[in-house]
Amino acid sequence: MIKRTIYIGNPAYLKLQQQQLVVQEPQSKTIKGTVPIEDIALLMLDHYQITLSNQLLIQLQGNNVAVISCDAQHLPFGVMLPLYGHTQYAERVRHQMVASEPLKKQLWKQTVTQKIANQATLLALHYKNNDTMLQYQHDVKSGDTTNREGMAAQYYWKHILDNFARHREGDAPNNLLNFGYGVLRSIVARALVCSGLLPVLGIFHKNKYNPYALADDIMEPYRPFVDKLVINYINNTQQSTQQLTPKVKAHLLTIATQDVFIDSLERPLFVAVTTTTASLYKCYTGELRQIKYPELD
Amino acid sequence: MSASRFSAYRIMWVLVLFDLPTETKKERKAANLFRKNLIKDGFGMFQFSIYLRHCPSRENAKVHTKRVKANLPKHGKVCILEITDKQFGSMELFHGVKEVNLPQPSQQLQLF
Repeated sequence: MIKRTIYIGNPAYLKLQQQQLVVQEPQSKTIKGTVPIEDIALLMLDHYQITLSNQLLIQLQGNNVAVISCDAQHLPFGVMLPLYGHTQYAERVRHQMVASEPLKKQLWKQTVTQKIANQATLLALHYKNNDTMLQYQHDVKSGDTTNREGMAAQYYWKHILDNFARHREGDAPNNLLNFGYGVLRSIVARALVCSGLLPVLGIFHKNKYNPYALADDIMEPYRPFVDKLVINYINNTQQSTQQLTPKVKAHLLTIATQDVFIDSLERPLFVAVTTTTASLYKCYTGELRQIKYPELD
Repeated sequence: MSASRFSAYRIMWVLVLFDLPTETKKERKAANLFRKNLIKDGFGMFQFSIYLRHCPSRENAKVHTKRVKANLPKHGKVCILEITDKQFGSMELFHGVKEVNLPQPSQQLQLF
């Protein structure tokens, strides 16, 4: 089921009442809205003056809601997830722990291949030449030892937008991309926990400071969907993207309901991500050989 | 910009209309419990003893209908109605003689 994204960008007091999340204005005590907890997927907190009750936090975690706090730049800063979002958690993690190196390399190859394919499709959608990308996609080796991912990314960013350099601290629209990727990462991390997997154990990313290595691996093929949203926004509004206005954020938060093509079905991205994580677990157990990834069309 | 899988034919509204006896203390307690369970399940009051809930899909509407059925009080009349968002949208509401807006379907994305 496709669930809801709640974004809090004003001072608010959040509490639990009859299993509903109640959003209250702190000064006037007026109730601005109630949302059933079980319908929520993401709760994004983007203001310094937000107060939550612990009772509410416990309920949110009980329903596998990803609670995201944002920093001064309004970018997703931290995610709070339940420790185990799946009943067979212990058994599932064991499968993940003993996954062999060749299997992980194969999975990484599939991940990179699909990422490059999606990037190539996006280039084609904007009437740009993508032959080089398709060549890169063909050349991906097990474990991507020849770093086709990096080469493809370099070509892709050079051609997808005019005079733009992708850099985390770079100029706009890098800020939009960062925001979109942050939300995407939270969606993926949530789905991993729901499938009973540990987001810490990546298949490729191995940074000792990264608690969401697996989320970073699995979100790779989904990144072009964020790029698509950002590029559409830039082309349609012609406004400056220096500031992350509420309007931009609302547009980027629709990432959860974007249609993607997965497993020859059309699904909202939010549902597709759970399909991906479920198939990843089956790859760990040996039931499947291919992880299911979305196709951009 | 709404996603196409989110059509007015897929989104459902579940309406629960009930008349429960409130003569004795016991009956009042049962009626209150039923109402409370509706609220816990995410229903909101539309009119006195008419509650409604917005559901993003037909399957989800079935889930909530089933829950209402599981909590039925022993006595009294309860009617459960599922309608599409399209049908719901063609409803006309009046406060006195003035026409008022319909309850908005809960957005997939809500900004507070």
